[in-house]
Amino acid sequence: MRLAWSTYRRIRIGIWRAVPWSFMVSRITTGIIQIVIPYFIYTFFMEENVTDTFYRYAGGADYMTYVVLGSALNVLAVSTLMNIGRALITELREGTLEMILLSPSSRGPYFAGCLMEQTTRALLEFGTVLVVGACCGARLDRIFTVSSLAAVALAVFSFFCMGLLLSGVMLYTRDTYITQNTLFVSMSLVCGIAFPIQYLPRWVQCLAQIFPLTPAVTLFRNVVTAGQSILENQQLIWQVLLLSAGYLAAGYIWNRKQERSLLESIFG
Amino acid sequence: MIKAEHLSKTYLIKEKKHIFGKKEERKVPAVRDISLEIPKGNITGILGINGAGKTTTIRMLSSLIAPASGTLTMDGVDAVKHHLWVKERINIISGGERNLYWRLTARENLRYFGSLYGIDRKELEKRIRELLKTVGLEEAADIPVERYSKGMKQRLQIARGLINEPEYLFLDEPTLGLDILIAKEIRELILTLAKERQKGILLTTHYISEAEELCDYIYVLDQGQIIARGTKAELKEIFKAKPRLVVQEMSLEEVLMKIIKQSRGETDEEHCADNEGGNYQTTAV
Repeated sequence: MRLAWSTYRRIRIGIWRAVPWSFMVSRITTGIIQIVIPYFIYTFFMEENVTDTFYRYAGGADYMTYVVLGSALNVLAVSTLMNIGRALITELREGTLEMILLSPSSRGPYFAGCLMEQTTRALLEFGTVLVVGACCGARLDRIFTVSSLAAVALAVFSFFCMGLLLSGVMLYTRDTYITQNTLFVSMSLVCGIAFPIQYLPRWVQCLAQIFPLTPAVTLFRNVVTAGQSILENQQLIWQVLLLSAGYLAAGYIWNRKQERSLLESIFG
Repeated sequence: MIKAEHLSKTYLIKEKKHIFGKKEERKVPAVRDISLEIPKGNITGILGINGAGKTTTIRMLSSLIAPASGTLTMDGVDAVKHHLWVKERINIISGGERNLYWRLTARENLRYFGSLYGIDRKELEKRIRELLKTVGLEEAADIPVERYSKGMKQRLQIARGLINEPEYLFLDEPTLGLDILIAKEIRELILTLAKERQKGILLTTHYISEAEELCDYIYVLDQGQIIARGTKAELKEIFKAKPRLVVQEMSLEEVLMKIIKQSRGETDEEHCADNEGGNYQTTAV
């Protein structure tokens, strides 16, 4: 646990010294824009009209509530995947990876520290999305319930597990651009962030199920908009947990295998 | 003692000639059948030109990479099988400016690297104070590393390398790119670590004079193989170089050292005799 806390502090200090205020401005601005764009489209282009099909697919939620909840969870997904995924490759680029691999420490607490640090930052953007969303008419009365918080925690855990696998992929390919950007754009398209996935072709809907964001965002909406308890959504919880376990196992095995051969291919 | 017997390492290089082409695999032997020993309290040197296999050897000895063949033991324990046990007892100090977090201060860096070894918080703070004093960074301890000079970064590297109180230290070009004064200080520190604190030290260096000054035993590596080994005297014996008494003009390096020391008001007993006898010294070559 001490290593997790040390890693948290180390990253946090580094960020504060590098970008003392701009990262906060950037997070808040991104959060605002994420909601302002769909608000303008909904208000001025769609004139606040959606079809009955939308209401049926969205479980009766209005469009702004639907988009705000989707965007808020997408913010956490992107940020967790990005920061966990590129943690080790950043160490590699900064020249500190060798010293981490040289130490007898395990990677678990290290990644836990990265998660703690990035989650506290991402919550700033998550909060901005919700606040701006509420100002734009989203109904978020049940956002501060135990079920809602549990759904968010479960979602973050699943993104973390997927991030571990992404970390291995990034180290293997030595690439962060294609892995990150392609993945994030694809997730935004197929996971039901801005519109229900039922509008997509059947095979894309099936593909969307491999991303934990898809069941996690449905769970989050069911809890916040439909007022269901988290325990009423056991199927979604199991789906998130099974996906998490799969990504965790794959990430662990791949990272472990790579660590011993990593320095050979990098410096050899 | 670290004992390596018949260690070999071959890298598998995968290359693509075209973007959509198939990857071609190429085997590059980096180290071939080397055997060496690193006893505690001694400085063992590895000399060799770039690409000789020095860094690969250090990485195998420090359990960062696994050897393709051969055996490696530390104090009788299989170092390949028990690499985590080995990692608790070793550390690497490299030349250059990598291996540090530039936005953190020296104290913060040492705290983080100490936490990687699970050192108790109180013990760690005590070690940090001692190490900062040892490497002369007490006053700069709370300044971010990005503002440090090259010499200060190298001194911090040494403190980092000692944070887990390793029994064996691998020094990979530790004085690379440093000015002569700092390099001399670091060489003195390396000697102290080996002779007074009984650490087993493996030193790789390009500077022959550094190896001559520090190493008790030297291995000469070329194209991944040990081509010569022995003490300084034994290596010189290979070419049966008889000592000759010659008058040698003081080198520019020595002149520069004297000028700097004089301007700082430091006395240099070693060179007092030289001043009296002019800027010449006698050397056996």
